[in-house]
Amino acid sequence: MHAKGKTRLSLRQKLLLLRLGTAFIAIVAALLIASILIVSAGANPLSAFYHMYVGSIGSFPALVETLVRATPIMLVSQGLAVAFRARLWNIGAEGQLLIGGTVAGALGLYLHALPQPLAVPLILLASGLGGAVWIVIPALLRAYYEVNEIFTTLMSYYIALYFVSFLLSGPLRDPVGLFPETTTLPKEMMLPIIIKETRFHAGILIPLMIFGPLLYMVIGRSTVGVKLSMVGCNPTAAQYAGVDLKRVTVFSLLFSGFLAGLAGGVEVLGIQSKMRLDISPGYGFTGIVVALLGYMDPIGVMVASMIMGGLINGSTTMHRLDRVPVGMAFMIQAMVVIFVMVGYLLYDRFSRKVVGRVE
Amino acid sequence: MSEFIDLLISVGIASAMIRLMTPLLLAGVGELFVQKSGVLNLGVEGIMLFGAFFAFIGTFFTGNVGYGLALAIVVGVAINLLFAFLTVSMAVDQVVTGLAINIAAIGTTSYLYRATFPYATAIPAKTETIIEVEPIPFLSSIPYIGPALFSHTVFTYAALLLVPVAAFMISRTSWGLRVKAIGEDPHVADLLGLNVVRTRYFILIMEGVLAALAGSMLSISQYNMFLDNMTQGRGYIVVALIILGRWSPINFLAGSLFFAYIDALQLRIQAAGITIIPYQFALMLPYLASFAALALVGRRVKGPASLAKPYKKVK
Repeated sequence: MHAKGKTRLSLRQKLLLLRLGTAFIAIVAALLIASILIVSAGANPLSAFYHMYVGSIGSFPALVETLVRATPIMLVSQGLAVAFRARLWNIGAEGQLLIGGTVAGALGLYLHALPQPLAVPLILLASGLGGAVWIVIPALLRAYYEVNEIFTTLMSYYIALYFVSFLLSGPLRDPVGLFPETTTLPKEMMLPIIIKETRFHAGILIPLMIFGPLLYMVIGRSTVGVKLSMVGCNPTAAQYAGVDLKRVTVFSLLFSGFLAGLAGGVEVLGIQSKMRLDISPGYGFTGIVVALLGYMDPIGVMVASMIMGGLINGSTTMHRLDRVPVGMAFMIQAMVVIFVMVGYLLYDRFSRKVVGRVE
Repeated sequence: MSEFIDLLISVGIASAMIRLMTPLLLAGVGELFVQKSGVLNLGVEGIMLFGAFFAFIGTFFTGNVGYGLALAIVVGVAINLLFAFLTVSMAVDQVVTGLAINIAAIGTTSYLYRATFPYATAIPAKTETIIEVEPIPFLSSIPYIGPALFSHTVFTYAALLLVPVAAFMISRTSWGLRVKAIGEDPHVADLLGLNVVRTRYFILIMEGVLAALAGSMLSISQYNMFLDNMTQGRGYIVVALIILGRWSPINFLAGSLFFAYIDALQLRIQAAGITIIPYQFALMLPYLASFAALALVGRRVKGPASLAKPYKKVK
């Protein structure tokens, strides 16, 4: 297009710019629609967006809260990015997250004999495994019998939802509490706070420092990433090329379940200090949007998670200060996802042109 | 023991089963044709949810279910036109677009509900009228069968009629055969002079109408209110039942009967106040049943050859 022959960007860089551009368009378009809704709700969009800025990145505490909010979303979407790359659609991440949270809430009460540096990682590992266990059957059914994972993972979400609801109102219920929730965990079982006077807990570093770099290396710089993409593009061809289809399928689905479970564990040990059914306002579903918005790219999903975290917190501030109805975050999310589809469309169109020119 | 049998088999449960089956059949017949034409629209869940919401809103503010249904249909068709534009015209991934519509539907309806009823407390807003039950004269007075089968809304009768009509259209009409041809291989169908894009648009618009009606059944027939994510995965279950039924309307009817029976059973378990089974397990039952059915019957299913594959006309 306009950059004809002038710049010497590599193909990779051009495609990256294109992705950033289309993702940017998706978010701006969503915010434009949101401003129409803000006006129709009788509020001033300029003031509302100013408060969205204030509530998301306008101050240091707000920024920390955005990170707090982004953490579970980031973990979920990092896992989903891996599965989605192989075109394996785990849409039950919300259920795996609830299971992970429940494991953390229950185990935290029993492991307090162990020292904190040992207990906390153990509990988190267990909540990740809990999430992975919840997707074992869908993963095996998909790998060995070609049972469509979209439906089995969705069914397993509802099963998890009611199962956890049962556990919280029965066996795991805090005997002296008023609500269906587990007993509050002792402070020693919680993830340590890193920045004093804020909620910046050690769990925030898990997606940023562990899984972010890990995915960057594995997806971008190893054969595993290539295998995932091959399975996603053409499973038959991948098989002929020597990719173990079953292994890739089971591994990537279990990985996405593990990270969703971990997200639940981190949320309980980092923020909530107990398991309750409303620890997640749909992080598992937001994670799907974010994985798509970030083009299943390791850096892309991290950036997209933080944007989504900011939008959720910002719209809470908007609700408080501008009388914008609660739930604007849901709406913005809905608009983002629709415009992401349009973004895919644009990306598809222009990437053909970009690639075509190089050839 | 007789109480137990009464729980499993009774006029009440049969009637509830038929009632709960209605939205599945309406949405399912639409989706069946869509899939026969080679398009996988997971967004049927989202359209049902939009349908439930707008039917409720329309009925709540006008007091007339007709306006509610009309509003739901307009929105349902609009959403499926968007889906058709993205997937049929622009060849964007069908699975991703469908999932996107569903997530958007949850977000949009729950926001709009809160925006419409900002001061809604624990008691949700309710419509004053719902779709009325119209017992069929004479037939409805047959003992047992009458109240179970012939005392429903017109949409239930229509839904039950729709299934044999769909079966006939698919296997006995030239239009049905053309749809199948398009679903098997759109390129060849195109070479034979069939208009792939127009046919798919037409079927998707029809599905928009049917799925919106299906959603309306939830909010202004089974209930008189709207609840967040009211469809509870029923759209996905419809798609699963189509796959399990190997794209045959009659098999789909059988699957829907099974699912609706389990759903009716869980409602009865809850209503009967059986305390041995916690109510959460009753709620879980339909999903466990669907999961088990998928695991046992859903293996290596071969659908229309071009299902969910993007198609671009070669110029």
